[in-house]
Amino acid sequence: MIEYKNINYKYPGAQNPVLNNLSCSVGEPGFHALFGQSGVGKSTFARMIAGQLNGFAGEIEGREPIKVYYSYNLERLPGWSGVGEHIDKVTPEANKSRINEIVESFGLSACIGSGFSKLSLGQRNRVNLARYLLQDFDLLIMDESLANVDEATREQIIFKIKEMFPEKSFLYISHSVAEVSRFCSNILVLRSFIKRPQALTINGQDDVRGKQVVKKDLEETMLEIVNAS
Amino acid sequence: MLHKRLYQFVLVYFIGLAFLFTIKGVFNLSDYVIPSPPDIYNTARRVFMRYLFDVLNTLSVAIVGHILSIAMATVVGIIGRLSNWMGSLIRTAAFNIQAYPIVAVAPMIFILLGDGLSSRLLIAAMICYFPLLLSFIGILSEPITDIEHFYIHSGRMRWQLEVKIRAFENMNKLITVVAGSATLAMVGTIVSEFIGASAGIGYSIRIALYQSDLSKILVALFLIGIFTSLYLAVLEWLGNIVSRRWGELEVKGMS
Repeated sequence: MIEYKNINYKYPGAQNPVLNNLSCSVGEPGFHALFGQSGVGKSTFARMIAGQLNGFAGEIEGREPIKVYYSYNLERLPGWSGVGEHIDKVTPEANKSRINEIVESFGLSACIGSGFSKLSLGQRNRVNLARYLLQDFDLLIMDESLANVDEATREQIIFKIKEMFPEKSFLYISHSVAEVSRFCSNILVLRSFIKRPQALTINGQDDVRGKQVVKKDLEETMLEIVNAS
Repeated sequence: MLHKRLYQFVLVYFIGLAFLFTIKGVFNLSDYVIPSPPDIYNTARRVFMRYLFDVLNTLSVAIVGHILSIAMATVVGIIGRLSNWMGSLIRTAAFNIQAYPIVAVAPMIFILLGDGLSSRLLIAAMICYFPLLLSFIGILSEPITDIEHFYIHSGRMRWQLEVKIRAFENMNKLITVVAGSATLAMVGTIVSEFIGASAGIGYSIRIALYQSDLSKILVALFLIGIFTSLYLAVLEWLGNIVSRRWGELEVKGMS
């Protein structure tokens, strides 16, 4: 688990900080969410967690043993390589046995022989997420990684991720209140830098395959998130 | 493509000739200053074969110089794309040196290396090298974040892969720059021959200048234009093949 204490960050040349005394913890096993309105700093914070952003002030504890990957929805595969060939090439030997399972459950069997540029946006995002899931990670940040994927497929993918990686940690960034309320265990709601505290943690319904989420509980969670943000 | 290039050149050439004859007529200039069409025709018949071989000589030097400059620009461009002190040094040096006219340095090269092939080759390569280098550095130092992100953060990024990604994504730009610099290679070779060499069409133009023989110069210009157009057309054709093959790779997604 990574604990962040009093994190401050301002983009060079910006008038206001993006992160202002932010304190929270991430990296606990399970499927969690980072939620917030556009521009509150979700991607900035995600990049910071992944170690891709420097120049911030504050304390970070327990970072070292954790291997963090950050995937986002605009990533592309190199044009010279087919989807299947690329996935095979970038998957560590120990995880190769998982390729077929992930490809099939993500509905990507038909795409495996194609070039990335020939795929739809939803297929591209699924392929990109699949190659990250095949890496050796402790925490995977999914920054709108399932954008442009239909609701039923998204549900299947999230259930599959939960079944396949119960010991790993996921931080799912999405703008859908209903989705994060239903599927996520903890929802870290990031708010504007003027609000105190800047981040609040709300318990989600953590839906898994076969479990029936009570509609009233789901609505309460959604209301809590909306009120918090 | 080839016939289009040739057609364009012949059109421009004859417009130029018509302009010269207009000036000759308007100012009543003698045949000594601007020769008459029969004079040009007779000169062409007399010197055509000799000038043809001269142009082929020049073109061969230009092609070798062009290939050399592409190879040098690729190597230096790969180093110059780096964000460390070495890349920074190469970029700064390239920007400063390219601002200096190579033609002004050419006499020094002839003094040091003589009037043979090496001087012509060096000047031709240098004249088209810097524009190529600046373009290569620009293209190769621009990150393709959407593709590179995964490789960087999974620890798989190597310099060869970085160059491959950036070159692949900018293949059409690279082809255009390489084809465009062919004209510079030809210009560089002719300029070097004109300044101090003892062979090639540039040298023949210098002799014609000493003889004040505009007919010879016009014949030389005609042949230079035809062969430069041919070279450009061949490069464009090769570029189209590479571009198409590259596009097919992208569509099929095969390596």
